[in-house]
Amino acid sequence: MKNKTWLQSVLNIYLIEYALSAILRQKYKNFFILSIFTFLTFLLASVFFITNSIKYELESTLEALPQIIVQKIKAGRQDDMDVSAVDEILSIAGVSDAVARVWGYYYFQNAGVNFTLVGVDEYENQYKNSLEKIVQKFDFNNEENIPSMIVGQGVKENMSRNYYKQYFNFIKSEGTLKKVNIAGVFDADTQLESNDMIVMSKDEVREIFDIQQTKATDIVVKVVNPEEINTIASKIRLMYPECRVITNQDLQVSYQNIFDYKSGIFLALFIVCLFTFFMIVYDKASGLSSEEKREIGILKAIGWRVDDVLKEKFYESFILSFFAYVLGIGFAFAFVYIFQAPLLRNVFIGYSELKTSFELPFVFDTQTLFLVFFLSVPIYVAATILPSWKVATLEADEVIR
Amino acid sequence: MIELIDVTKIYEVNKKESVRALSHINLKIKEGELVILKGSSGSGKSTILSLIAALSKPTSGEVLVDTKKISKLPDNFSSEYRRDNIGFVFQKYNLIPNLSVKENILLPLVPLNLDAQSMHQMSESVMQRFHIEHKQDVLVRNLSGGEQQRAAIARANINNPKIILADEPTANLDEKLSLHFIEMLRELKASNKTIVIATHDPLFFGLDFVDREIQVHNGSLVL
Ligand SMILES: Nc1ncnc2c1ncn2[C@@H]1O[C@H](COP(=O)(O)OP(=O)(O)OP(=O)(O)O)[C@@H](O)[C@H]1O
Ligand SMILES: [Mg+2]
Repeated sequence: MKNKTWLQSVLNIYLIEYALSAILRQKYKNFFILSIFTFLTFLLASVFFITNSIKYELESTLEALPQIIVQKIKAGRQDDMDVSAVDEILSIAGVSDAVARVWGYYYFQNAGVNFTLVGVDEYENQYKNSLEKIVQKFDFNNEENIPSMIVGQGVKENMSRNYYKQYFNFIKSEGTLKKVNIAGVFDADTQLESNDMIVMSKDEVREIFDIQQTKATDIVVKVVNPEEINTIASKIRLMYPECRVITNQDLQVSYQNIFDYKSGIFLALFIVCLFTFFMIVYDKASGLSSEEKREIGILKAIGWRVDDVLKEKFYESFILSFFAYVLGIGFAFAFVYIFQAPLLRNVFIGYSELKTSFELPFVFDTQTLFLVFFLSVPIYVAATILPSWKVATLEADEVIR
Repeated sequence: MIELIDVTKIYEVNKKESVRALSHINLKIKEGELVILKGSSGSGKSTILSLIAALSKPTSGEVLVDTKKISKLPDNFSSEYRRDNIGFVFQKYNLIPNLSVKENILLPLVPLNLDAQSMHQMSESVMQRFHIEHKQDVLVRNLSGGEQQRAAIARANINNPKIILADEPTANLDEKLSLHFIEMLRELKASNKTIVIATHDPLFFGLDFVDREIQVHNGSLVL
């Protein structure tokens, strides 16, 4: 009993050794269980990882939403707004900034996708930090006086696929072409919302969509105190009864709806996973083979106590399921963050072909790891130990007869 | 040493049926004694061994070993009692077929968490004593009947038990191997173990080193 470390006295390595050899003795059966278990952990973890990434993505998108958007409505449709409203809105107490936006969706027929064209003015405050960065980085009026634009990664890919590598020909409202150079691409960390975005000067956007100099697509408003968003929104509504005034809370609800709908699909997938998992567990719990029973009986007969048997079964099932868990998590990490979740991501990001090229941001969440762990390992361990316990507490004589 | 007092054992086969395997048995075995239980199939020999090993409990009556009432022990204590006192050579050997001879022999020591060196020494010594060390790394399922039996005897002796129980030890052996077993038995007897053997093999009858032969008939002892 000397020469024994603290760990050796707590953990019985012979018992662990025996558990390992017991796993290896049933190679095929345990390999099958390991494969299924790994696959289920992998699926479960992948779903959680993707959900986390999208949630993170949406949260940052929501944070960047303008507090108030004012749109003109004409005969039930959105129409261009007078820029002069900016000054009137600025005069409302509590408003810190109001910016007239010039933008629109441009349908690229060859690819069958929509681009979001956003006009910026270098000398103006940008309504979003991400735009501010882009404007500072690029020079839209280059020497040759050919208009240029900065595009999102998704836009870039779609254009190249249609042989527009250096420039793009926009078809203007009246039907003529307008050539715009591609001056750059947003950084890799660009988010979901900006992936289909094209940034160019306001004048070019005006030209493409035929928006007059005195008009804008909408006006975004910043307020000093976020608590006052609703009061200020009502004031604007009173001033412009013909306008629709949208607050970021309204938008949050609709974004959240998209997300909830998607997480609903995944909840379903999740349930399928669990169901399959419980099938295995059920099969396992429904009883031991006569060989397994006999082995427990023999161990009891040669002096193992019930808890020695159960400890051994614990090690056996824990080693197997924890190994599967680690494998599954590892595969899920690689699948989601390195390979960007092929197949699975399409279920998540289905609303535009363009959106599929966005990156799933890496979100490390220990809670998810714990959740997947507790949904798998203890259940399997319990499902292994329970039937063994039933057999181990019988009279050994009955079992080995 | 071993004492069965008015022991009755009834097996419940199912709700309606039950088998009376032993009926009001009284038996005393002294320390160092070698006793042969003989009798026809179904007479209750194995049941007696199983009660002495605390592998099952009597329906009524008491089993005492060293004045301890082992028929009243809770399950965990009867495991410990076997581990510390009993070496059982089962009729079907009850080895684990996909483990090696050495692993099987060490199995009773696994829960004790001893240090590796004493484990090694103990297994070497019993394997040598029962002539199986040359097969120590062979899987039990690849052994002959005689080798399996020697492995089973080695395993029964690894904890250096005071009591050795053997159930039909020669049932699967030819005459030469049976005689060899009887030689091993003589050595065990010489080392002052208390030994109880259930058998109907005539080779065991009338041996000079056997202290008593007890006839079991229909769940009773014929004295
Ligand atoms: N677990 C059990 N359940 C039901 N009946 C049992 C059980 N164990 C033994 N019996 C019955 O009890 C009786 C005595 O059995 P036991 O095994 O003690 O006989 P035995 O003398 O060892 O016979 P054999 O020489 O065939 O080994 C038999 O009728 C047997 O069928
Ligand atoms: Mg028998």
